[in-house]
Amino acid sequence: MMKINHGSPQHWALRTLGVALIALIIVWVPTQMSTSRIGQFSDAFVLIIAAMSLNLVLGFTGQISIGHSAFFGIGGYTAAILIKDHGWSPGYTFYAAAALAFVVGCLIALPALRIKGIYLALVTLAVAVLFPTLVKWKKLAWLTDGAKGIDSVRYDELPVWPILGELKGRDGRAVFAYWLAFVLLVVTYLVCRGLVKSRFGRSLVAIRDNETAAAVMGVNLTVTKVLVFGVSAALCALAGVLSTLRTGVITPEGQYVTLLGSIVFLLIMVVGGAGTLWGPIVGGLVYVWLDNTTRGFGSESDGVIGFLFGWSDQSPATLILGLALVIIMFVAPYGLVGLIKRLWVKVVVVVPKPAGTSLPTTGQ
Amino acid sequence: MSLLSITDLAAGYGPLEVLHGFDLQVNQGEIVVILGANGAGKTTTMRAISGMIPRRGRIVFDGQDISSSSPDSIVRLGIAQVPQGRGTFADLTVEDNMLAGAYIRRDEVLADVERWFDVFPRLRERRSQRAGSLSGGEQQMLAIARALMSRPRLLLCDEPSLGLAPLITQELFGVLKKLNAEEGLSILLVEQNANLALKVAHRVYLLETGNVVSSGSAAELAADDSIRKAYLGS
Repeated sequence: MMKINHGSPQHWALRTLGVALIALIIVWVPTQMSTSRIGQFSDAFVLIIAAMSLNLVLGFTGQISIGHSAFFGIGGYTAAILIKDHGWSPGYTFYAAAALAFVVGCLIALPALRIKGIYLALVTLAVAVLFPTLVKWKKLAWLTDGAKGIDSVRYDELPVWPILGELKGRDGRAVFAYWLAFVLLVVTYLVCRGLVKSRFGRSLVAIRDNETAAAVMGVNLTVTKVLVFGVSAALCALAGVLSTLRTGVITPEGQYVTLLGSIVFLLIMVVGGAGTLWGPIVGGLVYVWLDNTTRGFGSESDGVIGFLFGWSDQSPATLILGLALVIIMFVAPYGLVGLIKRLWVKVVVVVPKPAGTSLPTTGQ
Repeated sequence: MSLLSITDLAAGYGPLEVLHGFDLQVNQGEIVVILGANGAGKTTTMRAISGMIPRRGRIVFDGQDISSSSPDSIVRLGIAQVPQGRGTFADLTVEDNMLAGAYIRRDEVLADVERWFDVFPRLRERRSQRAGSLSGGEQQMLAIARALMSRPRLLLCDEPSLGLAPLITQELFGVLKKLNAEEGLSILLVEQNANLALKVAHRVYLLETGNVVSSGSAAELAADDSIRKAYLGS
């Protein structure tokens, strides 16, 4: 174990190294990897954004929501309808989707305020179940195209970003989708970070830890809960828009639009580490990796994997994923971020600054 | 001068009425103690004052009627509550707990944190620790310091001695007394521990099943035979 001081040259070197490593991976993926790999990373970014949005209400504020798949769907459908029926440029649909989801999120949060815990979970569950049904409803078919959904939602021509140069064809689209998802991921991260590390963020954790104490400190429970739900819904809608733009399709039974989507977001958040800023990032990457790796397992496989899963006609991905998650929750009850932190202190300990030096001590 | 003046206060939970209409006054610079057994309505009184539950009657704070104000506007007027069972935010650091206490203000917050760390030096040592890792006594201190961060003129303390060792409780009451004497802070304290309460209080109200059955100066109540029997055990 190594001890270094907070703010010392070694600490800065370590930080710089970390940032450089992350930057290298981020650039490496779209320039060196195959198109399908790039797509997997974009998918992970989409899921990370959705899990981050859920983390805001559940991880930080302690309000259970299983209805986020509906906000994801609202985002996707808003983009699809505006682009296909109204000829919007895809870029602007992000704003429209976020605004609409914010309003819907606030409206759902209003009645949800009177209830807590498992009851709130049930109300949001109803929202998740209702959304696909509503989209398939015959009387809404003029808008949503019913059960068959909306396809060919995409950029007619990819916008040219100066750093990326001109992108063409299937590969170009994948690279563009990757960078678009990455930019939105950074935006979402910054929004979450800004909220959580502020006075507002402290009031969120206060509500989670002790609602009564938060109220008697002057936190307006109603306004705070409604706002955070709205912001969370808006961020989740961004993920929905991204997903639709990347795949070009949205259907009522599509990926992450149904209740299953909510479960996946929840899973990623919990596995990564609820109530941490990096939890959804780690969780999302691990989830997509596991999902894609195990999908190929089955009767075709040889070696150990073939021996273990050769009996299965179908892909055992779900089974393996489930088992892996149980194991992860066993060894890392506070999520993977908690586990990484616990292991990391065995290598390097950053000694915090001595008490009293981090703040100006201007007495009165 | 009367800082808090309560007339005919009735409150409860749904159809269950717990407080049946009593009067209570806290004067500027006073420590007033509400003494009562379990179920007498002490905590309900606190909740009614801070606006956490629906209530009837008149509550006037500093000339302003707060009978139907929301909890956050009551905090803004200058009433802070230390909830029963401390209510510190376990996952926030000690310092963040203090900052959370200053939720309603933005000016000189950091200077105030240092100021209360001077009064509670043990909290300064633990400033970057999770509040959940503190001992019971330290958490109670933190809960009080956090409440003071909103710069209240009246501090409501709901049974601060709950679950604390006698020595720690004494230290805590010493701090409250000091805050009252040096900062001129008015305090309304709810307690079961009559011995301790009578030592710090200027005036005492005796609450039994939702009614004030007796009130007076601490000395008067300490001398009353029936009260000594019921609450002091001698």
